[in-house]
Amino acid sequence: MDQFLLQSIWLVPCYALAGAVLSVLWFPSVTRLTGPRPSGYVNILTTFLAFLHGLLALPAVWNQPAQQFFFPWLNVANLDLTLPFEASALTVGATILITGLNLLAQVYAVGYLEMDWGWARFFALLALFEAGMCALVLCNSLFFSYMILEVLTLGTYLLVGLWFNQSLVVTGARDAFLTKRVGDLFLLMGVVALLPLAGTWNFTELAEWAQTADVNPTVITLVGLALIAGPMGKCAQFPLHLWLDEAMEGPLPSTILRNSVVVATGAWVLIKLEPVLALSPVVMAALVWIGGITAVGGSLIAIAQIDLKRTLSYLVSAYMGLVFIAVGAGQSEAALLLVLTHAVAIALLVMSVGSIIWNSITQDITQLGGLWSRRPVSGLAFLVGTAGLIALPPFGSFWALLKLADGLWTTQPWLVGLVLLVNGLTAFSLVRVFSRIFGGQPHPMAQRSPEIHWLMALPMAILLGVVLHVPIVLQAFSLLPAWADLNKDVALLLLWSSIFGCSLSAVVYLGSAIPKPVQFPWKPLQDLLSYDFYTAQIYRMSIVVGVDLISRITSWIDRYLVDGFVNLVGVATLFGGQGLKYSTSGQTQSYALTILVGAVLVGCLVMWSS
Amino acid sequence: MQLQYFLVLAAALFCIGIFGLITSRNAVRVLMSIELMLNAVNLNLMAFSNYLDAQDIKGQVFTTFVIAIAAAEAAVGLAIVLAIYRNRDTVDMEQFNLLKW
Repeated sequence: MDQFLLQSIWLVPCYALAGAVLSVLWFPSVTRLTGPRPSGYVNILTTFLAFLHGLLALPAVWNQPAQQFFFPWLNVANLDLTLPFEASALTVGATILITGLNLLAQVYAVGYLEMDWGWARFFALLALFEAGMCALVLCNSLFFSYMILEVLTLGTYLLVGLWFNQSLVVTGARDAFLTKRVGDLFLLMGVVALLPLAGTWNFTELAEWAQTADVNPTVITLVGLALIAGPMGKCAQFPLHLWLDEAMEGPLPSTILRNSVVVATGAWVLIKLEPVLALSPVVMAALVWIGGITAVGGSLIAIAQIDLKRTLSYLVSAYMGLVFIAVGAGQSEAALLLVLTHAVAIALLVMSVGSIIWNSITQDITQLGGLWSRRPVSGLAFLVGTAGLIALPPFGSFWALLKLADGLWTTQPWLVGLVLLVNGLTAFSLVRVFSRIFGGQPHPMAQRSPEIHWLMALPMAILLGVVLHVPIVLQAFSLLPAWADLNKDVALLLLWSSIFGCSLSAVVYLGSAIPKPVQFPWKPLQDLLSYDFYTAQIYRMSIVVGVDLISRITSWIDRYLVDGFVNLVGVATLFGGQGLKYSTSGQTQSYALTILVGAVLVGCLVMWSS
Repeated sequence: MQLQYFLVLAAALFCIGIFGLITSRNAVRVLMSIELMLNAVNLNLMAFSNYLDAQDIKGQVFTTFVIAIAAAEAAVGLAIVLAIYRNRDTVDMEQFNLLKW
């Protein structure tokens, strides 16, 4: 039975796709009869099936070597595009994570979107995402990963733009699509350039090839840089980070997925490509630098945000930056662990934040406060999410960050300092948000804010339990280091950075010694952070202006030079006809003259040519 | 007396005929110019038949035919001119340009 479930693991993406297709039945006229709800229930059912399938298939592959399945797709000339599926404990586990989080997010959405009529569209898109991500983790080919990433890019566009009658939603969806497309375009270049070098797109074979590869260092550096551009866009790394912030305009239940697993799709491809990227030291350094800048910058920006959802979006960028650092330092396992612990923790944080937004009048954290007494479940979820995200033993991310820092300890000690800094800043930022929402006195805007109903509370509580149990799960997967191997210096440093960040933030934001809102002594720095390093303005002044100018020039050339030339031919013919018609004088004698001249000319021609 | 002189004379006559044909405004003079050109042709035929084909004199036979055809053509031409005149009240060639542009 287990073996059969494993053989049919490719069905996992299909369940979700079936749900998405079934949702199409709820077009407006049907929705008018039945209401939008059945479409949601259908998708929850299919997601549950996918979750169950993965869960039951896991024992069959547990502690077993990875199994490969092949689906021939296109076979022409010397190009053989076969879709390889890999079923290993890792990939099946990833599908369980994805389908599980999606299941919780969908139940949450049933409560969150109670009054919305766009259920069919929303749930179909969530299912599309689920199908895409499951297919991505299962498929073992760079080429098909690229195709799936493109589908997910389109899905992001549609999902962020769900409430398309709001202008900010429209620009957010557009920016998310275009930013990811920029990354994907470079990724495509890398994907295409890799085939002649390696001769394969299969991740396993790529790893084997990379061990003995002998390639021109310049070429492999360029290919590697192109390959990391796609994950950069997906994981919202500097300088392609702005879209994640703007995507917060989308519906919140989709944000749960986006912030936890959708951004991690880029990290997944990156981790899979790590052997290829490791061929070039320049690429590895670039990964570390990009990740480092994003991690520090993102966690700093998060501290200066007052929008409840945006305080979390930059932390996602920052943690993906840590994943970049891990891959850049050659620590794929730490990166995977970080992706896992980050996914569950941030999903819980987003759920908690969503429950606040759902029935408070505002999502501005300066307008909230004092909600602890009336929102204990949400508050508890936020605290547990915080504990799961920062390095606070024994919760999840502590072990991931410990593994990362431990690996960096001997090779690149300065990166350990960076990890500590990011961890401290994240702790500061999350406790700040907690203090502003749940601590202090209730602001008039937050007076009427009861606890949420069970449909949102239940998935939140379940996820809360999952986050608390992450260490036990890690233990079961024997991913925790033994006590003797534990690098106690690093562990203590991480713990201290978390405690320092938390307590400093608590003193500043819970105490009354410092007046709120906190004014930084140096205003330009505060502005720099709260305006996201002015990235939007920089883009507007450089790339947007540049593209605008180029398109204007191109349009002018097209309209006046290219079209002008063709029109000139037409006008010349017209004028030629108009001018030549005067030779038709209607006079017999002029015709006679013409014939004569013509005959003479023909005669001359014949004479000369002979 | 050589063949060339006859040919040059005939050519000159033909040119005069062409000139008259193209420049005359009177339709009758156009017909007369055509007669001139036909005569130039006849001169050519006669000259060639005299110098090159004195035995069979095929040219002279052709000339006879040309004269006959010329007479017939003049008759038809004059009839056409007369028909146009009856309609348009003029024989000015520059008035007959109905097919202009």
